[in-house]
Amino acid sequence: MSERAISITNLSHTYPDGTPGLRGISLDIIRGESVGVIGPNGAGKTTLLLHLNGIFMSKNGNVEILGKEIRKENIKGIRRSVGLVFQDPNDQLFMPTVFDDVAFGPLNMGYSEAEVRQCVARALDWVGMTGYEPRSPHHLGVGEKKRIAIATVLAMTPEILVIDEPTANLDPGSKWSLIELLRGLSITKIIATHDLELVRVLCQRTIVLDKGRVITDGTTKHILVDKPLLCAHELAPPNAT
Amino acid sequence: MMAMVGLAVALFLVFISRIPFGFVLKHLARVSIFIFPLCVLILFTYHQGDEIARFYFLTVTSGGIEHACLIAVRALAAVILIFPLIGTMRFDVAIKALGKLKVPNKLVQMLIFTYRYIFVFIEEVQRMFRALTSRGFTGGMNGRTLRATGRLIGMLLVRTLERAERVYNAMVSRGYEGNLGTLVEFKIGGGDILKAAILIAIAIALNVF
Ligand SMILES: Nc1ncnc2c1ncn2[C@@H]1O[C@H](COP(=O)(O)OP(=O)(O)OP(=O)(O)O)[C@@H](O)[C@H]1O
Ligand SMILES: [Mg+2]
Repeated sequence: MSERAISITNLSHTYPDGTPGLRGISLDIIRGESVGVIGPNGAGKTTLLLHLNGIFMSKNGNVEILGKEIRKENIKGIRRSVGLVFQDPNDQLFMPTVFDDVAFGPLNMGYSEAEVRQCVARALDWVGMTGYEPRSPHHLGVGEKKRIAIATVLAMTPEILVIDEPTANLDPGSKWSLIELLRGLSITKIIATHDLELVRVLCQRTIVLDKGRVITDGTTKHILVDKPLLCAHELAPPNAT
Repeated sequence: MMAMVGLAVALFLVFISRIPFGFVLKHLARVSIFIFPLCVLILFTYHQGDEIARFYFLTVTSGGIEHACLIAVRALAAVILIFPLIGTMRFDVAIKALGKLKVPNKLVQMLIFTYRYIFVFIEEVQRMFRALTSRGFTGGMNGRTLRATGRLIGMLLVRTLERAERVYNAMVSRGYEGNLGTLVEFKIGGGDILKAAILIAIAIALNVF
């Protein structure tokens, strides 16, 4: 049982304006797995990810992280073990310098100054951005911002990494170097994306989501060759055969 | 006379702090809008010494000229003196210094976010204006453009709120609980105290002489 990193049962979410975000999602993710969550725009990918560290807490359904149900009392621990990287790095990088941004999480965890400095140095090293500490996030390129955004989360040494659209807006060069970076991280990964190439190289398992429901859940190898399935959910060009 | 020296010293400080003079001039021009009318008023109302000129009921005296010049030079010197002070500091360091000066954390957070998102906000405005212009929007004051501008402002408000929510989510998911921690890498050195002392001395001298 402790093998399970994430366990979701019958999770539904409705936005305040009545839009259904998720309708009865159930899935388990094993420790060390790398899982792709694909689906068209508005499928509910972002909504699902926001449930994984308690930004959204639904009364309908149940989310367990590392065997513990998410509750108000243990939210701090949950957020330490689930690192969430947002789609737009401008939302993730809100401090005046890269150093402050990466130090933000460790400082909130109550680490000492020496520990914080060590976390920042290590996280920036992992994403290959050592030396960027005094830079202002606003003036960085999109690829650099993405890496720093990942560093801000890695600085908290999470056990599960959850990333929303890591390769959106990246040129092919930055995209592939980011994919390499992610491949080098040996923790549990959940990656929401439209990018089938990314899923192909990074994820052994793929979950297809549409209209708030799990359509299929299986090995990437099988799902990526199922053209009718991909077409039906706007993940491949309509004329692909 | 002292005021002139003060002005010279202030300009010298701007020079050695390598702030572009164009930047200083632009801001001086704005300040002059306030200084100039004041000097004109003093010129005609301050009466002392020989009468130099008379236009109908207005008289100008040598004392008046002297006084108007003194005020102008003093004000300009005081403004110029600000530039080496704030023009050479990094904004993020200044914010941290504020935190150390016991400025409330809420206020410091507001400054940090204003500084970080002002560029993002400006870019968003520019993008939206470009989109409008490319669909034939031209400025002006008729009902149609005013309506379009109104909608634009409404959209901006909504986008800003949505962004604020996403940023807040990002903060919360990294353990934010209301207090913004920064490692203050701000140290006061002997050189800083000396520089501060020089600036304060000039400022006081400007007031006294
Ligand atoms: N704040 C919100 N208020 C109301 N409805 C929302 C909100 N955010 C998302 N939705 C709706 O919830 C549904 C799921 O959205 P979600 O953002 O999770 O999709 P997604 O799979 O991440 O899409 P994308 O690929 O475009 O990022 C959509 O129908 C969307 O319109
Ligand atoms: Mg999304």
